[in-house]
Amino acid sequence: MYVVRRAVQAVITLLGVSLISFSLLYIFPGDPAEFILSIRYGYEPSAEDVARLREELGLNRPLVTQYLDWLSRALRGDFGMSWTEPKAVMPLILERAQASAELFLATFLISIFFAFVLGILSSIYRDRWIDHLTRMFSMLGISIPSFWLGLVLIWIFSVNFHLLPAFGCCGIKHLVLPVLTWSFSFMAIKTRFIRASVIEELSKEYIVTARSKGLAESAVVLRHALRNALIPIVTYLSMSVSHLIVGSIMVEVVFSWEGLGTLLVKSVFERDFPVVQALVFLSGVVMISVNLVVDLLYTVIDPRVKYGE
Amino acid sequence: MKLSRRNFMKYASATTATLLGINLLGCSSRQSTGGVEIGKLSTVVMGYGKDHKLKGGKWGIGFFPKVNTLEKLVEYDLEKDEYKPFLAEKWEVENGGKSITFVLKKGVKFSDGDELTADAVKFTVLWLTANHPLGQETFESADVVDDYTVTIHYKKAEFLNLAKMAEFHMSIMSPSSVSPKGDVKGEWVLPIGTGPLKVADYREGEYAVYEPNVYWYERFGLEPNFEKLVVKFIKDEDTRVMALRSGEVDCLSDYCHGGSDYTPRNQLAPLRQDGYKVFKRGEPLTWVIAFNYTKEPFNNVNARKAVDLAVDRNEVVKIFNSEVYPAETLFIEKAPGIKEAKAQGIVYKPNPDEARRIIKEKGYSNLNVKLIVDKAQGDQILVSQLVQEKLNDVGFNVELEVLESGAYKEKRDSGEYDMRLYYIGGTDRRFYMRLYWRFHPETKWKVYESERTGNLCKKILGEFDESKRRQLLVEFYKAVYEERGVVPLYFDIMTVVTSPKMDMTWDETFKWPNGYEVGEPLFYDV
Repeated sequence: MYVVRRAVQAVITLLGVSLISFSLLYIFPGDPAEFILSIRYGYEPSAEDVARLREELGLNRPLVTQYLDWLSRALRGDFGMSWTEPKAVMPLILERAQASAELFLATFLISIFFAFVLGILSSIYRDRWIDHLTRMFSMLGISIPSFWLGLVLIWIFSVNFHLLPAFGCCGIKHLVLPVLTWSFSFMAIKTRFIRASVIEELSKEYIVTARSKGLAESAVVLRHALRNALIPIVTYLSMSVSHLIVGSIMVEVVFSWEGLGTLLVKSVFERDFPVVQALVFLSGVVMISVNLVVDLLYTVIDPRVKYGE
Repeated sequence: MKLSRRNFMKYASATTATLLGINLLGCSSRQSTGGVEIGKLSTVVMGYGKDHKLKGGKWGIGFFPKVNTLEKLVEYDLEKDEYKPFLAEKWEVENGGKSITFVLKKGVKFSDGDELTADAVKFTVLWLTANHPLGQETFESADVVDDYTVTIHYKKAEFLNLAKMAEFHMSIMSPSSVSPKGDVKGEWVLPIGTGPLKVADYREGEYAVYEPNVYWYERFGLEPNFEKLVVKFIKDEDTRVMALRSGEVDCLSDYCHGGSDYTPRNQLAPLRQDGYKVFKRGEPLTWVIAFNYTKEPFNNVNARKAVDLAVDRNEVVKIFNSEVYPAETLFIEKAPGIKEAKAQGIVYKPNPDEARRIIKEKGYSNLNVKLIVDKAQGDQILVSQLVQEKLNDVGFNVELEVLESGAYKEKRDSGEYDMRLYYIGGTDRRFYMRLYWRFHPETKWKVYESERTGNLCKKILGEFDESKRRQLLVEFYKAVYEERGVVPLYFDIMTVVTSPKMDMTWDETFKWPNGYEVGEPLFYDV
């Protein structure tokens, strides 16, 4: 029952996202047909050209009809043609998606691993040197801008030691510096969150009981405290998936990594609305799907969570 | 298991070492970047700030391939204000300028081996008419007279038609550049031209690989001294410089269009000091303060004059480590008519006291005015801040709005600003084109318009006689100066920076082998 309810909610949210994505074309003042032509040709189009394009694209139809048409095509992965490149939107996005996914997954996995290690260590050894070090590291990660850190890492590893490439996309060698740069800030926030969640759990009475029963500290932390702290942590981590598209813009620019972040920036600057609409819509779809999966995961993480009761 | 500090450290260290090991293993197994083999002596790698768009786009392919893979019928000599034969050996202006008949040089070959004929020129004209904004507004038709003679018919009868033939976009391409071959509505494949380079490989957003076009070298009696020129697209300017310093690229070139994606000017001196070669050329590309001249207060010449007198250009160029040049005239000195105009006292000079007097007398004291700037143009933010400071010093109250590019364009197009920074001119070949785009009353991107300047601009662009045109230009500079239509700030430059191991010279960078100097960097001898 719960699954059906969540699925229905997801569909409703998706419709909301699609409405926002579709509306992007109409947010800016003026006639979209005139807009398209002035972008395509770089000068003010004639009234006849505007009328012809309105007819050709069906912009004379009622907005609801246009929206339903756009949505039906979007659900089939057809977002039309880019206004600035001679190609369809979906292949344009797919070309970049692989590079973004590579960067995001490597960053996600590495930063999650170290965030857990550091967060747990920091919570166990609270107010000891390791905790101070972790907190200092987290503060630095949050405070240092990614573009600056990226340039410093290039200067050290590429210019001075010639160990790693300064730019370029794809392949493990090229991944190292962008992933290091992005992981630093990505990890910092998550480390603090994990530390706070585990500390909160460790202060609860059932932990005192577990310790008094003589359980090993590793079992107390990993099997009891961490497991109970996981629900807020997993929820928080799921929200990071939105970074897949927009989170890596600075890193992508500094390291010339041709991913979705730079595509989004370029499309916004060039007012390539079909691409922006598609990226907004697809981000929404990814977020909604991940949230749905995470909601279902709660029962696995904590069996006390019973849906539908 | 007891989770001691030692145990935690042990597990963490082991996992870290494993991950690092996997990374290092990955590093050693790959020797190439982006699928391109590098490191050969005969391969030169260049860092460039913009994609070459070899698959086409709104304005066709990028400016770099337009300069280095394609050629024009004529080239422009800025200093002599003269159009010179290039692919065309001669031409005749007919119908009062509405048609021009070009006679092509014989024996010129495209990089695919096909000969350049009148049919190829006609194809280019028709393709541009069907697909390109500039072609659409320029051409009417083209007739092949014989194999090497073609008559191009234009929409208007004006001198600008000839000037346009030296423009980037009017480069001649082979009918094989599209599929089906020769179809003016065919799909764009790759640029095939008569220029020194030909495209060997391209990956959008990442790199373009060029090889020497042997037919071009034969034509000029030269031997290519490289096998491949790999151009890597590196958007971030600091990363580009570090890629040069790390040895991953051998040279850097400014974006051929000028005005953006250039090597940071404050990096040029340190690079010189460290043994890198910097080739620099002043361009007739002037950054100016543009006004919203249609509304108060800058619809009044006194307000514009006060702004002009308030700004010290020598301070502006310090922002660029004095690598660019202060603009005391509308264009650089070798641009046509500038010397004559200067001799007549048309020189922009600061005089803050006079600016204060005007502001007080005309009641502009503490007047709120809005200066907008595009966030994407980092250097222009600094220039705007200086302008703001100088204008506040003399009595204006300037609000500086640093806007995201989209928001900037919105405000610019809707007129929600009082001042902004903009560029006029361009590289040499664009001298008349930009005069048209910035001052002709009928164009969208104009920077200033008055009856006087508009009429003069029309006359200049219609006048074939060089000496009459020069006179009109002087009158035009005078009109813009007296009306303070714009306030020139600095003349931009074009640079190429190479590693010490590269054997390039200034002449090889900015001149064709026949001695014609062009505004964009050339890469036939790297």
